[in-house]
Amino acid sequence: MRDQPALMPVVAWVCLLLSWQATAGELPKGILTLDGRAAPPLLLENMDGASWDISAARGHWVFVHFWATWCGPCRREMPTIQSIFPQFDPQQLEIVLINVAESEDTVFGFLASVAPDIVPLMDSDGLVTERWQPRGLPATFFVDPQGKLRYLALGGRPWDTPAYLDFIKGLISR
Amino acid sequence: MTRLQRISPWSARLWLAGLIALTPAFAGHAGEVGTGAAPIAPAPVSPVQQPPGPHYEDAQMSVRIVMRTPDQLTAFYLGREFNRAAIAKILDTCFITPIIHNKTLDVLWLELDAWQFSQGDRIIPRIKRDYWPDKWREAGLAQAHQSTFGWTLMPEVRDLRLDEGVGGSVVIPMQSRPFTLTMKFHTGADRQGPVKTVVFEDLQCVTNQP
Repeated sequence: MRDQPALMPVVAWVCLLLSWQATAGELPKGILTLDGRAAPPLLLENMDGASWDISAARGHWVFVHFWATWCGPCRREMPTIQSIFPQFDPQQLEIVLINVAESEDTVFGFLASVAPDIVPLMDSDGLVTERWQPRGLPATFFVDPQGKLRYLALGGRPWDTPAYLDFIKGLISR
Repeated sequence: MTRLQRISPWSARLWLAGLIALTPAFAGHAGEVGTGAAPIAPAPVSPVQQPPGPHYEDAQMSVRIVMRTPDQLTAFYLGREFNRAAIAKILDTCFITPIIHNKTLDVLWLELDAWQFSQGDRIIPRIKRDYWPDKWREAGLAQAHQSTFGWTLMPEVRDLRLDEGVGGSVVIPMQSRPFTLTMKFHTGADRQGPVKTVVFEDLQCVTNQP
């Protein structure tokens, strides 16, 4: 009995390690862990003409999503982003859509019916997207509260399904 | 107390689009004009959609080849507001669109320089990305459209992870005779796994159907 207190730190450490391994092993399909380098600059205007700067988004996670209307997987994925959009407090997770080099009419023609709650940022010449180097479209980066790139979602993902919702909730609860 | 709220341009456009959709005189035309006021735009032709075509599949990967007709290419790029001069440059060439999926491998390496187009003993040189900037300058194509075009091309190199897919166009000079595409893929994170080879014979640059 007297040995138990001495074992407590070891038990706690083992539990922590197992918990970390479980978390690391439970990434949903198509989510890659990144190396934590600083997110590239991102300063764009949205379709209302308001500027958004990622450097002002410290202190919470940011879901940075690159897309275009001509990309089939982007179109299939977008309703799932609209579905999760109201579920997260922007003070914990800010969802940011970046349209790649399309006109306002094209973007509005699609997004108004599919994701009307989200006012997209417009990368009008596509150069900001090229600096971020996504592995194709669509692509979603998760930027941590310190402005570091932590995860990348490959292609379109069903964000409104439990595996992905749990993953996001796990991030913001850290 | 009444509080005046500023309506953002996005909200105003949403409201206007909804009004147009609900107005009988306009509702029937909203989808046809395809302008920003139409809440439902016609579905675009996408280079990454998957009509039938030559196909290879095993337990580890799949590849589908899609050949685009000049009409399909024209429709796609006109829909993206490319100018006619730029589209003419595109139609001078032959677009092959492979769609690749890594089903079970740790890493499957897409490396376009490891692919070969040939007709018998003759190697057909691939048209690489550095071919296009001069063409776009001649055609006066806007930077935004150059960026879009770049995203429709197959990446030169990609370490395809488990369950990752990629699609995009690979370009060669226009050919009047059938050709062979030999694709080699290294495997494994360190590229030291077995090399997979997939061969498609009798591919043809397609023309419009009469």
